[in-house]
Formats: sequence, C-alpha cells, structure tokens
Amino acid sequence: MKYKISNLTELQISALREVVNIGVGNAVTSLSKMISKEVRIEVPGLKVELIEKVPEVAGGADTIVSCVIMEVSGDIDGYIMMMLSEESAKTICTTITNEEDTDIMTPLNQSIIEEVAHILAGSYVSSLSDFLRLNIKISPPMQTFDMLGAIIDHILIEMSTKAENALLFDTLFTIEGHEMDGIFLTLFDPDSMDVILERIDTMI
Amino acid sequence: MIIVGMADSAVVKKPGKLTTLGLGSCVGISLYDKSTGVGGMVHIMLPSIEQARSKENTAKFADTGIPALLDGMVDIGAYKHRTTAKIAGGASMFSFNSNTQLNIGERNVAATKQVLKELKIPIIAQDTGENYGRTIILDTENGELTVKSARKGIKTY
Repeated sequence: MKYKISNLTELQISALREVVNIGVGNAVTSLSKMISKEVRIEVPGLKVELIEKVPEVAGGADTIVSCVIMEVSGDIDGYIMMMLSEESAKTICTTITNEEDTDIMTPLNQSIIEEVAHILAGSYVSSLSDFLRLNIKISPPMQTFDMLGAIIDHILIEMSTKAENALLFDTLFTIEGHEMDGIFLTLFDPDSMDVILERIDTMI
Repeated sequence: MIIVGMADSAVVKKPGKLTTLGLGSCVGISLYDKSTGVGGMVHIMLPSIEQARSKENTAKFADTGIPALLDGMVDIGAYKHRTTAKIAGGASMFSFNSNTQLNIGERNVAATKQVLKELKIPIIAQDTGENYGRTIILDTENGELTVKSARKGIKTY
C-alpha cells in the first residue's frame, strides 16, 4: 500500500470521512423514505484497527446482533455491514409489516431486513461510485442473527491474509420515535484505501 | 476471568477461568491438565502460518498457536502428557457464502485436530461446525468447558 495509515493528513482523513458520510447519508435518506420516519446519523468514526481488534471495536465479540453483510467488489474491495440490535430489527420489521410481536428469524422478516440493508447499501455504494467515479458492485445480502464476532470472523480471516489493519467506519443511526439504533460498518482493505485516496487527491 | 481475544492466547492456574467470545469460523482450543489445574486457551483464525503474509502473531494459526500454548502451560507447571483438549468453533456462518473461504471453519477444525494429534494431546470433547457462533469458558477448577450460543443454548463438556 502506498499511503501509510498513520501518515494520513488531516485533509485526507476528513475527505475519507466525508466520502463515507455522503454514502451513509444517502442510505439513511432511503431508509427514512421507506419507513416514513426521520432517521438521524452521526458523523462516521474512522478507525484503523488491527484486524484482530475489529470485533471489540465494532461493539463486542459476543454482542448479539442482527447483521446483514454485503461484499463490495470492483475498483475497491471490502464489506458493508448493517448491524442492529434485536429490538431495532423488530422495529424495522413491524414498521413494514404492521405486525406486532415479530420474530426476526422468520423467513419473511429475515428477507425484509436483508432487503432494507440491500437498499441502504445500494444507495451508499452508488453515491460512493458517483462521487469517486469508481466502479463498485455489491453482492446480494447475507443476513443472520448471532454473536457479532462469530458473524464477521470469516471476513476478518479473509482480510487478514491480505493485510494487518482494516479501515473501519462506523456510523450510528437512530430512528425518530423509537429507542433504536444501528451501526453501519464499512471495512476496506488498505489497498482500497489507496484507491480512494488517489481519487480524492486528484479532486482537491 | 481472563478474556482471550481473537488471535490471542492465555494460560492460568486453578481457580482461574478463561473465555473467548464469539467464535464463528475461528476455533477455540482449550487445554487442561487436571493433575495440576493448569489451563490454557487459544483463539486461532487460520490453519497454518506457512502461507501467512505476516508471521508475527503465532496465536493466529493452529500450527503455531497450539504448541506455543502448550509450552506456556508447561512453563507454569502443567504436564504435557496429562494435558487434554476440548475444542469449539469452526462454524460456517453463511451457507451460501460464494467465495473461496467457504470451508475455512472446517479447515481450521481439521488443522487443529492434526496439530493436537501430532502433539499427542487427546481431544476429549468437541463442539464444532454447523452455522452458529459460540462463546466458550474454561473453568480450571474442574476442567469443564461451557459453550454458549445465541440460538442453541448452553452446553457443558
């Protein structure tokens, strides 16, 4: 990799953060339209972590979450994940189906959560590719409800064969009127960060 | 309770407890010598250090992490020939995973078994494979390994 993560300039860091912010912002607008509720996001946190530390940083290896994973490929490689607490996943399902007492593991609810995440990631990725003029694709979503560490460890294993560190953006979002929140996690390998930074450098 | 992170290991004497959280495709190996009450745990990510890009952290790999763990236990008093193993993890979380990492869980379990066989450490319990995450706790008071999961309850080996 060309850019050393520890040597990034303030400007590059804000640019990276802004890129993710635009992406997540668009995703959240889609979510907001879909469920007709206001959704707020926080400015994404950017972290560079040893791959082994990612589960802890993302919220704890044994935290039980409903997680949807999509693989990002093309000019940049990585993963986009949406993690929701059980309550938050239920809120999304009930808002869409209007049913009380949802079991989030029913096939219908699983596919609702998958589709919601897919739509969100779709708008995220298309805004990234428009902004950076990169060719980026996302895989179909994979959803499960389990321990965070267990869900993402095969991804970390795969990344660890290529890199020591992962670039991690976590964005917290909250939905108006509900005690719910979720995390949008974006993981890029360091080579992809180079690609993004090169694009940013040509723009500024 | 000592928390063993991903690609990490630790040893402890009775009455200490060791735990590692959220094992998916990774494998948690818990070793125990009943005669001295010495226990150890390692959370491996990959089968072998051979093809690894970075060989710094030996606890990341089955073929280096397990022997190092055993050495660490012997250092604090365990007898190698009395040590037994209990293993957990190696799940395949997504059945429709399309990439080459398809069987990383299985490969980790196979490598773990091979390494333990070479070290002549018998595996007296295992809870591996399938598609769910596991958190394991070793109690050096009695050598019991508790396996917790989000969807399949708690088991004790």
